[in-house]
Amino acid sequence: MITLYDFELSGNCYKLRLLMSILGVEYKIVPVDFYPGREHKSATLLKLNPLGQLPIIDDDGLILRDAQAILVYLAARYDASGNWYPRDNPALLGEIGQWLAFADGITATASAARLHDGLFYDLDVEAARAGAHRLFRILDEHLWFGQQVGRDWICAADHPTISDIACFPYVLLSEEGGISRQDYPAIRRWGDRVKRVPGFIVMSGIFPAGPARAI
Amino acid sequence: MSSHPWHPIAASHDLPFRHVFHGQLFGREFAVWRADDGYVNVWENRCLHRGVRLSIGVSDGRELKCQYHGWRYSNRTAGCTYIPAHPADAPARTITNRTFPAEERYGLVWSSLEEAAALPRVAGLDDANLLVLRGMPLNAPAALALAHLADYRFQPNNAIDSKEALVSIEAAEGFSIALRARSGSQETLAVFFVQPVDSSRSVIRGVLDRNAEGMVRNTILRHHNERLSALRDRVEREAAALPAAPPIEPVYESVAPELAEMPSLSASGRRAAITVQVARKWMTANDIAGFELRPIRGLLPTFQPGAHIDVHLPNGQIRQYSITNAPGETDSYTIGVKRERDSKGGSSCLHETVREGDLLAISEPRNNFPLRRDAVKTLFIAGGIGITPLIAMAQALSHMSLLSELHYFAQDETQLAFPERLATLGRALTSHLGLNPQATAAKLAELLVDYRPDMHAYLCGPAPMLEVARRIAAEKGWPDASVHFEYFKNTKAIDDSSSFEIALARSAVTLRVPAGSTILEVMRGNGIDMPSSCEQGACGTCVATVLEGEPDHQDVYLNDAEKRSGTKIMTCVSRACSARLVLDL
Amino acid sequence: MREMTSIDPVTLNLWYPIVAIGDTKPDVAGTTMLLEQPIGFAVGVSGRAAAWSARPDLRAGDTVDASSVTGGLPVKTAYGYLWTSLGTPAADIFAIPQYAEPDRRNIAAASIGVNVSAPRAIENFLDMGHFPYVHTGILGIEPHTEVKEYDVEISVDGDEILATRCRFFQPMASTVAQGGADVEYVYRVPHPFCSVLYKSSPLDEKRMDVIAIFLQPMDQEHVRAHMMLSVLDDQNDDTFIRRFQLMIFGQDKPILENQFPKRLPLDPRAETPIRADKSAIAYRRWLSQKGITYGVIPVAA
Repeated sequence: MITLYDFELSGNCYKLRLLMSILGVEYKIVPVDFYPGREHKSATLLKLNPLGQLPIIDDDGLILRDAQAILVYLAARYDASGNWYPRDNPALLGEIGQWLAFADGITATASAARLHDGLFYDLDVEAARAGAHRLFRILDEHLWFGQQVGRDWICAADHPTISDIACFPYVLLSEEGGISRQDYPAIRRWGDRVKRVPGFIVMSGIFPAGPARAI
Repeated sequence: MSSHPWHPIAASHDLPFRHVFHGQLFGREFAVWRADDGYVNVWENRCLHRGVRLSIGVSDGRELKCQYHGWRYSNRTAGCTYIPAHPADAPARTITNRTFPAEERYGLVWSSLEEAAALPRVAGLDDANLLVLRGMPLNAPAALALAHLADYRFQPNNAIDSKEALVSIEAAEGFSIALRARSGSQETLAVFFVQPVDSSRSVIRGVLDRNAEGMVRNTILRHHNERLSALRDRVEREAAALPAAPPIEPVYESVAPELAEMPSLSASGRRAAITVQVARKWMTANDIAGFELRPIRGLLPTFQPGAHIDVHLPNGQIRQYSITNAPGETDSYTIGVKRERDSKGGSSCLHETVREGDLLAISEPRNNFPLRRDAVKTLFIAGGIGITPLIAMAQALSHMSLLSELHYFAQDETQLAFPERLATLGRALTSHLGLNPQATAAKLAELLVDYRPDMHAYLCGPAPMLEVARRIAAEKGWPDASVHFEYFKNTKAIDDSSSFEIALARSAVTLRVPAGSTILEVMRGNGIDMPSSCEQGACGTCVATVLEGEPDHQDVYLNDAEKRSGTKIMTCVSRACSARLVLDL
Repeated sequence: MREMTSIDPVTLNLWYPIVAIGDTKPDVAGTTMLLEQPIGFAVGVSGRAAAWSARPDLRAGDTVDASSVTGGLPVKTAYGYLWTSLGTPAADIFAIPQYAEPDRRNIAAASIGVNVSAPRAIENFLDMGHFPYVHTGILGIEPHTEVKEYDVEISVDGDEILATRCRFFQPMASTVAQGGADVEYVYRVPHPFCSVLYKSSPLDEKRMDVIAIFLQPMDQEHVRAHMMLSVLDDQNDDTFIRRFQLMIFGQDKPILENQFPKRLPLDPRAETPIRADKSAIAYRRWLSQKGITYGVIPVAA
């Protein structure tokens, strides 16, 4: 069984909880006192991840770190549909890789601003907010043009992929870092769609959506 | 600056069903949502209860639910229909969120901070053939964006790759500017509306005078998006160098004074507050006519499931009818009227005299039969035309995916009213046809057999059936507080032979109620306002709180426990056993 | 240094928590904000603590001997936190007698930044009606949404608000029994910006767990929320208990940050109270009577 080293308020940990819930993968949690205890910097955790970051998983002895990397692993290993990380579609894989890197950018900006406001991290919050707005403009434009051709998801497929999961949490939590999403209506609509994926679960700070309209 | 107060606040494509859009105009935020019936709601972005943004709430297509305490606000009226913290109470009708005008035109959603005359036409734009550009939000005042738009350069739709077009200003008015691009024989009109979001934020919303299909359409949209992005960057650089104006602080309207404290009784009597038109009249079942009542102007007030209206008939009579509508269905009220053989004129007047197109006066909806929505299971038991309040309730619970059963007792299939509404209930509906009184009692005993805590039952039907049900429910261990009745009318003979004194504690007056007069009549005669509706002890509108004295209950509204407690009285029929009653009025 | 003219005297003279003792390093200076003033603090190896304002020479991370700081602000340690004041505070911080009971676990759960005024955060802490909607499946669940009648008083001697006989349906209310049941709560507001909640213990029906929130207003619309637990729990470790508390508070946070206006309006007509809001109504009146203007929108004269 998969063990997830987890912090409840971490959007990166939530990405994995979310995907595992959608895929119906069983897992157990080891709660890590990331804040205020800084347990991720403890000797035990540094042995699992020398970078001193969460999340980490242990899947029967296979230890992996980094949210995006673990999304790749979980989808490739456990998604029978092959939709979340389509191994035999190189163009789509390239696109997914591109947006996973984009998700890292969101972490470096929107998540950083949230850590500043909520957990008092000492960093240049104005720069973090400005960086997040730059990325959100790109994402909103991308999603808006997608909508014009009937595409609901980040990548060019008729179903969501792990790139949607990778970008979702810190976009939806951005207001905790003082980053409003009011100017990004296409992002707000996409957020509703992700919330309606079967198996979706929430985390603290993210509310569920209501049911879609029956067609 | 502008000759009219209308501004676009969203694009039509920003409002898919079940989404709540977050808009803003001159600093005032909006929650904007399209109901399943297509109606666009533009509301103050603030729950009246604790100020939480409604744009983080949930639209269920009929109502918007606040994320904080689950308060539900109805499509169109923005009236609060349910306060989950107090499931037994009907929310005061005046708990209504602030709404703003909404108009959909040119692919945009328009609103205004003030009541406004009609949205003016824009020369050169035709709703049937246009292309809405991606809205371009910018961190700059609207005036700066407008100034730069005068120099905006673009290509006509069919000449995106041709040599740079000539662009001329065709019109400029208020917050909009119309530009025409010409290249060879091709030309396109682009009208830009700049939405003043706040003192230093705005959105450029562009509309082209011609649609396009497929790849060309995409190319055109990208062409403008690129050029508008470049324009945005220039405007924002310029704005960044200016001293920043502080954000506009919107002033929120105060809530009504009566809502600042817990609600007391609202005024008053049997007033015909609203004029409606019979938009449709049809036979929904044998001997039962359906009437769809639409407002002559404006919106109908918010209703809650279980609510009734007084209908003032052309023959001068006043009758009560339950609203059968589902939540959020707020463009009309639908009532069902059974032709009564022993009619004193009410039902026959509606059946025979009133026709489609006629005007009727009705009261505001009143809810003396409120529906709790905190039951683990709810039973609805309807006899005949008693279906009308229960069908509204069953639709409300069904819509919230709460467990309920509707048992509909009728003579035969042809007596089942509102089949199209019943169909939406699916398996929650069971009809019981052609049962005689004994069989009805046996069926009721079966239905009421299995009381568990947190179950509630609502019954409406003929008095004999309700009396049987009341007895069975008591035998099966249902507490009075869990069984709710609504009688069509009070069939008991009223004994008004007593005479007694009433003291109105808050008004500090004492009045004599002689034999042959009611408490209500005596109070009215002395200028004391009291709402009422059926005036026969069935509907619950004229209830008063008893502080001292022993009431002589003659109504069918209060349940046995309420009657025993002696703390409430229906002032239209009930009287006093003691020489004196002190009422909290 | 900014002017402090906008701060009413009641607010100025209160004790405020600024940091969990457990989150400090011995004799290392830390910095924070209190009522718009940058302040510094240090806790020594011996447990002696100091706080100061207007010392640009002392930056976060500097080594400082806490016992040698002179001319500093008044300090106290209580409930696992370091407290200070910018004015002339009362002799004592309000009492939480249960804190001293030997079989309790006392945990300084966490300090979280929230973009809201302190009174809005207190009012949310007093509120039960939101449990099914904000803490879904944990502190409440639909359709069990009713807030039953409860009692509120402003105690004469203690100058604090007390809400008793509060009950709310909680799914999985007990570790022993299956299913949901009503859980009992008692709420105290013994300080304009602090509240203490007592909740029936799942382990011992005669006693109650204590959960407290202490707010440090950084300015009128930004707070540090310090949480303290004093619980009868010999089964779960601190990490688990903290995780639960952070999850609950993390669910409240987006609600608080989406409330407008951010400062608490004291005019009764600014919002629509219902019976369930009795304690909030009492709290707003109490703030008004005390003459507090910080973090609130006072009733227009």
